[in-house]
Amino acid sequence: MSAEVAAGKTGSRWKLSLDTWAVVVALLLALLVRTGVLKHIPW
Amino acid sequence: MANVVTVPRVRPVQPALRFLRVIPGVLLLAAVGYAGKLLEQNVSAYAKAHHWTFPNIEYVLWAIVLGLLISNIIGVPEIFRTGVATYEFWLKAGIVLLGARFLLGDILKLGGVSLVLVAIEIVGSLAFMTFLGRLFKLKPKLTTLLAVGSAVCGVSAIIATKGAIEADDEDSSFSIAAILALGALALFTFPVIGHLLHLSDRAYGLWAGLGVDNTAEATAAGALYSDAAGKLAVLVKSTRNAMIGFVVLAYAIYWASKGQARAVGNKAAFLWQKFPKFVLGFLLISVLATYHFFNKEQVGALANLSRWAFLLTFAGVGLRTNFSEMRKQGLRPFAVGAIGEVAIAGFTLVLVYGASKIFGW
Repeated sequence: MSAEVAAGKTGSRWKLSLDTWAVVVALLLALLVRTGVLKHIPW
Repeated sequence: MANVVTVPRVRPVQPALRFLRVIPGVLLLAAVGYAGKLLEQNVSAYAKAHHWTFPNIEYVLWAIVLGLLISNIIGVPEIFRTGVATYEFWLKAGIVLLGARFLLGDILKLGGVSLVLVAIEIVGSLAFMTFLGRLFKLKPKLTTLLAVGSAVCGVSAIIATKGAIEADDEDSSFSIAAILALGALALFTFPVIGHLLHLSDRAYGLWAGLGVDNTAEATAAGALYSDAAGKLAVLVKSTRNAMIGFVVLAYAIYWASKGQARAVGNKAAFLWQKFPKFVLGFLLISVLATYHFFNKEQVGALANLSRWAFLLTFAGVGLRTNFSEMRKQGLRPFAVGAIGEVAIAGFTLVLVYGASKIFGW
């Protein structure tokens, strides 16, 4: 196995899944709402 | 002489470039979704002003129909495709934010009932789809993919199982096409049947969560009925999604025992890898809301953020559904999927009907 492939594999271990990104973004938005940065979200 | 294989050097895409590539598609999702919202508001106002009898069509349906029209009449140009594919991201972020509208007690109460129904649905669906696959003489791994797709959670389950049982690309695209086509049909049939049977929001939400396979379509089918039904459909569907790791693990062990897939080493790590993390995010937000981490206005703001995320999702459901692409995948797997889905929809309807009589919903 080439070093590049090995490095790619090691790198991908630390890549966040789509699921995890969605959770991170949603929690950040919740935090922004909680701290008052995002106050009123119209619908 | 040693074999020399020249592997083309793959240039990694820079994160900034990757981010830029999603922008056109996300803007298209937003434009289609917002157009759906405007149509909901204006069409019913226009009909009322002109004394027309016109049913109130929710933004959910407008967004899906507009997306379907674009996808099937003019097609989605290449420049938008990467961004349109982010609709799954918005779906999951929307589900996490929706957690703010659930109190933990409700989740435990509803989740307990739905967990029992989900267990029955999964076992019944897996058994029936396996029987149908054998009856129609489909390839065994294709049968497995269709069974997992219809029993657990649509496309994600098929992709997770494909890797674990080393199924062919062709089998997985057959299964995904069948599940997506049937999900699109469910969007239009489930609400009509629900209204014909006068199902309560709770019974319908349970049914949509149990009977519709893909999470995006289950969320849309629930929201098409009512807001309360949509909330419940998401909860039940998330309970089904949480089971994905166990079902995929069981199939991986089965195919490994036949020597047709790699053996699973660390089972706990396997389960964690397959577990949908957005379910944990949903539960976390719900716990925070239950213990008043957010005030009433903040809960309202989070609920609206969730609606915006779903708006992009519903636009994406329409935009990525292309019926001519699905037709190319062949008729037999689609027939097995269709027969199975109709049977599962009927079976889950009976389950929900029975539960609604027992619990007086």
